[in-house]
Amino acid sequence: MNVSRRKFLAGTAAVTTAATAAVVATPHDGDAASGPPPSRRVDAREKVTGDLRYASDRLLPGTAHAVYAVATIGKGRLLEVNTKAAEAAPGVRLVLTRVDVKPPGFLQGGGHAFQSLQPLTSDRIAYRGQHIALVVADSLHAATEAAALITARYEAEPIAVEIDAPGAQKVRQSDVLPTAHDVVAGNAPSAFAAAPVKIDHEYESPQSHPVPMELIASVVQWDGDDLTIYEGTQNASAVQNGLALQLGISPERIEVLSPSVGGAFGQKNSLQTHLAPVAVAARRLGRPIKVVVPRTQTFHNASFRPASHHRIRLGADRSGRMLAAMHDVDQQTSRHDYFPAVYTELTSRLYGITNYGSQQNLVRTDVQTPGFMRAPYESPGTFAFESAVDELSYALGKDPVALRLANDTAVDPISGHPFSSRYLADTLRRGSRKFGWSERSAAPGSMRGRDGSLIGWGVAAGAYKAATAPATARLRLIPAGRTYHATIWVDGHEMGQGIRSAVARLVAEDLQLRLEHIEVGVGDTRGVPPQHLTAGSWGTATALPAVYAALKELRKKLGLGAKGPVPSGRGETIVLARSRAPGQPEAIHDRAAQGLPAGAGPEYPEFTAFSFVSHFVEVRVEPTTRRIRVPRVVSTVDCGKVASPRTAESQVRGGVIWGIGAALRERSEVDERFGGFANPTLEEYVVPVNADIGRIDVGLIDKPDFNLNPVGVKGLGEVVMVGVAAAVANAVFHATGRRVRHLPIRLEDVL
Amino acid sequence: MNSIKVSFRLNRKTVDLVVDSRESLLDVLRERLDTTGAKKGCDQGQCGACTVHIDGRRVVSCLTPAVQVAGREVTTIEGVAGPDGELHPLQQAFIDNDALQCGYCTPGQIMSGLACIKEGHTTDDAEIREYMSGNLCRCGCYVGVVAAVRETARKEAGR
Repeated sequence: MNVSRRKFLAGTAAVTTAATAAVVATPHDGDAASGPPPSRRVDAREKVTGDLRYASDRLLPGTAHAVYAVATIGKGRLLEVNTKAAEAAPGVRLVLTRVDVKPPGFLQGGGHAFQSLQPLTSDRIAYRGQHIALVVADSLHAATEAAALITARYEAEPIAVEIDAPGAQKVRQSDVLPTAHDVVAGNAPSAFAAAPVKIDHEYESPQSHPVPMELIASVVQWDGDDLTIYEGTQNASAVQNGLALQLGISPERIEVLSPSVGGAFGQKNSLQTHLAPVAVAARRLGRPIKVVVPRTQTFHNASFRPASHHRIRLGADRSGRMLAAMHDVDQQTSRHDYFPAVYTELTSRLYGITNYGSQQNLVRTDVQTPGFMRAPYESPGTFAFESAVDELSYALGKDPVALRLANDTAVDPISGHPFSSRYLADTLRRGSRKFGWSERSAAPGSMRGRDGSLIGWGVAAGAYKAATAPATARLRLIPAGRTYHATIWVDGHEMGQGIRSAVARLVAEDLQLRLEHIEVGVGDTRGVPPQHLTAGSWGTATALPAVYAALKELRKKLGLGAKGPVPSGRGETIVLARSRAPGQPEAIHDRAAQGLPAGAGPEYPEFTAFSFVSHFVEVRVEPTTRRIRVPRVVSTVDCGKVASPRTAESQVRGGVIWGIGAALRERSEVDERFGGFANPTLEEYVVPVNADIGRIDVGLIDKPDFNLNPVGVKGLGEVVMVGVAAAVANAVFHATGRRVRHLPIRLEDVL
Repeated sequence: MNSIKVSFRLNRKTVDLVVDSRESLLDVLRERLDTTGAKKGCDQGQCGACTVHIDGRRVVSCLTPAVQVAGREVTTIEGVAGPDGELHPLQQAFIDNDALQCGYCTPGQIMSGLACIKEGHTTDDAEIREYMSGNLCRCGCYVGVVAAVRETARKEAGR
């Protein structure tokens, strides 16, 4: 399998054969001059036929199946694991309680994994549900039954799982993470004290879980000293490099294949700790092993959104000018890692508030290390901040849309630099028109439906850093009859967001090829190394500039002008190109090559870059049950140029649904007597279902941001969730007069 | 542990197999018959990703013991398109309405959608939403799913 990589590296030298003089247009779908090709999801067909193979759909000859047994205490020491019954069970080939592997290193601490703790390497139990033994058997049912036969003796210790539990330990983030600075501008305390109108409230966001539909799973196969990993991941290079370090082998010996991921939402952003013991077992048995982490175990053996408590202070003059803001945060982390709290990066820049202060604390609790779940800081942060802005609008007697427009800014108040592009005001104006906001009666409880239900209309703004990471692209053009076939390998992962479709569309538009003649390879270390982390909404704004650079390189190599189709008769041509964020040194590619996070933004040398969004939400609170429904949402996004309209619209709807889930449904429950999470199933961890969702009207501003990159794209996948929960909460206040300052809002909050 | 010989029809072909009494239909399809269109999202009957048809009715295959399909006709997503690969109208409608993102829940959504139409639970969008709510989609493609089912149901009613 490593042959393929060497072949690829050798293939970077371009091969060009003699050209003929004839120029034959190879238009995409009709007239070449008719603009960009139609927007399609290029992998849709194989998804509706069931032909697409996700990682756990691999069925390799001789595969054995692995299942983990888990700890049944919340914290303590493992005294003994009794594996006798499991080992004696029919079909069982191997039971491991200890493996000799190196610690994986925490992604946010210079390592590759979602947490630094590697189960099966010590007697320490840090959280309930931690893996304590691995059972490998000939069949899945045999492994499952044997894992259930494993028992253990423990020395239990007192636990504190929730952020406000006695025994949870609060530390000031800047004391333990020297690189984490509290954002400060001007003099917020004195400006707040002097402000004639003040808001000062606390808001709570719960711990919650991403639950992508595809379970965390790996198929692991050794071939001599070479290892192939099939795993749905957003970060094939971290899996490759991190596992190599754990096993003490060269990363060159490992290939990671993750061409299509069944949803990830941040939970698959790094090396998982189920993997190394399985790799050890597969080597020992000399058989491929498939491990599919059961749904319940994904609640404890992978990352989650930490709980966070926010205190927001806003000071304004009577005209509605915001003079001061302070945003203090307590955020949960684990005992073994400090998952950084970065909530104020956004709330300090959402408006032009010149006096801003913040303090962010970490609260150490007995859980696995939390992580980046979609809009990790920005969704909870704006729930707090945008609820407070709504409270300010009522305190001032101002319309909440007008208040936001009056505090818009073209300059980042923290850095003093301009925004690379900022169409927040346009999203608010357009959304407000579409929604019919001018018909709103401002007084809470003043709007009723025909059935007597209370109607509430709420608004909130949002933003998300327009991040960029280094990327590599390799483009191969081969003649195919009268046209060409293009294969583009690029640094990125397809988790459903549509990166493959966006890349294919850019290539189709540039070379005027039909989409059918374009093949996009992502998420596979055999294609272009590295396959750096795809997260933080930087996927499209990272992959497309690299593809753009490859297209330019191709045109240069073929001696073509900046536009137009490739004349017929050219031979196979291969080019390689790289791109990186504005201001990033070339050495950043080495960091990406090691599987370490290498993204940049929102601050760049000459500007600050964010995507922006506004959400207008209607809620209806039923008169007798007080059930809260969301019949319609109007969301308008500034994500720069829309690279792939079809997939973009779906991403917006998905983000809105995530926001509705955060607002009204999702919370990972804790019972402090037992530890872990008490609702670790898709029945009890309640996510929105089809019947919960009404109309979602999507608007895209579609103005390119050429300051950020030559394609003009900014991120989309996360910003679309930001502000939804606040807009729902603001609508609930408008409907009922109840200001609910915690999530999720349930019917007992509006009885 | 019990081994039982079963014979059933899978996508119009006969399958003869010795199964373990503990094996679910989903695991037999995926791990022994290499029919991986039906997905495992929870293995507890809560997400719908493993939905298949048994004798034309939708079931979650993760909660169906494999022995239970002896003598039955099982249809999975692989059996929905025509013999030459022509898509079923509902499959095409899923593409046309972009009723999918990551695609992991899609086979289950389509199997449920086919049943929903056959059951006649497509009077209006509210009814479609209700009868499609056993199939979770974490990417949030519900609006597209409803549109695809509605469109296909109307086309079939018009035939």
